[in-house]
Amino acid sequence: MSESGTHPPDGSQSGGQELNCEESLARVYEYLDGELDTGEHDAVRLHLEKCRRCYPHFDFERLFLDYVHELGSEQEARPGLKDRVLEMLEAETR
Amino acid sequence: MSVPAEQRRREFESEALVHLDALYGLALRLSGGDEPRAEDLVQEAVLKAYRAWDRFEVGTNCRAWLMTILRNTFINEFRRRKARPTPVEFEQVAERPSSEALYEADPEGRIFDHIIDDQVIAAIDGLPDEFRIAVVLSDLEGLSYQEVAELMEIPVGTVKSRLFRARKRLQAQLYDYAVEMGYLR
Repeated sequence: MSESGTHPPDGSQSGGQELNCEESLARVYEYLDGELDTGEHDAVRLHLEKCRRCYPHFDFERLFLDYVHELGSEQEARPGLKDRVLEMLEAETR
Repeated sequence: MSVPAEQRRREFESEALVHLDALYGLALRLSGGDEPRAEDLVQEAVLKAYRAWDRFEVGTNCRAWLMTILRNTFINEFRRRKARPTPVEFEQVAERPSSEALYEADPEGRIFDHIIDDQVIAAIDGLPDEFRIAVVLSDLEGLSYQEVAELMEIPVGTVKSRLFRARKRLQAQLYDYAVEMGYLR
C-alpha cells in the first residue's frame, strides 16, 4: 500500500465509489456521528482502509468526540435547589 | 390537600426528582454555566413535568421524558431572548489559524488523557450560544443532527456547519491549554 495511493484519486476508482482525501475529510464528523447514508459511509470507509494519511486523522477526531461525550452533563445540583423544588411542588399541590 | 393529590406528588417526587442532577447539569451546560439561570430552568421544567405527570406513562424512560421537557423549555426561552439583538456572532470572530494545530501537534490524542475536564467544560460554556447549544445537544446528549435541527428550528446543514466550527474551536482551545500546561510546545 503506498502512502499516497488514494491522494489524489487515481483512475482506478470504479463507479465513483471511492472518495479522495479531501472529500473524506470533509465528511469526517458526519461519518463518525453516523449521519451518512450507507453508500457514502461505505465510500469513506473504503478510503480509510487504504489511506494512511486520513486514517489517523479520523482516529484522532473519534478520540476527541468520545472524550467530549464522556464529559456528559450530569452535575450535582446545589442542595438549595432540591428544597426549592420540593416547596414548589407542595405549593402546586395545595 | 386531597389524598390522591398528595399521593400523586409523592409518586412524582420519587420517580422524577432522582433525575434532578441530570436536569441541572443539562440546564447548566445549555445556559453556558449560568447557575441562577440553570436553576430557574430546572424549576420551570420540573413544574411543567409535574403538571403533565398524568400523561407520563409509568415504566417508560422518566429521565428521557424530563430531559426533553427541559430542552424544550430552554429552547423556548432561548428564542424569546433571541428576539433581542445578539452580541457577537461567531462568524464575526476571526477564524483561528490553529484549528488543526491540536491534531498536528498530538495526532494520537494523548492530551485527552491529561486535560482537566473543567477546562474543557469552560471552553464549551464559552462558545457562542448557537454553537454551544448544538454541541451540548449533539455531543453531550447524543441527539441526531435531525433532532437538533428540529429543536433549534434550523436546517440540518446549519447543524453540521455549527458542529464543525464549534468542534474546531474547542480543539484550538485545547491546544492552547495544552501549550499553557507545558504538555505541548
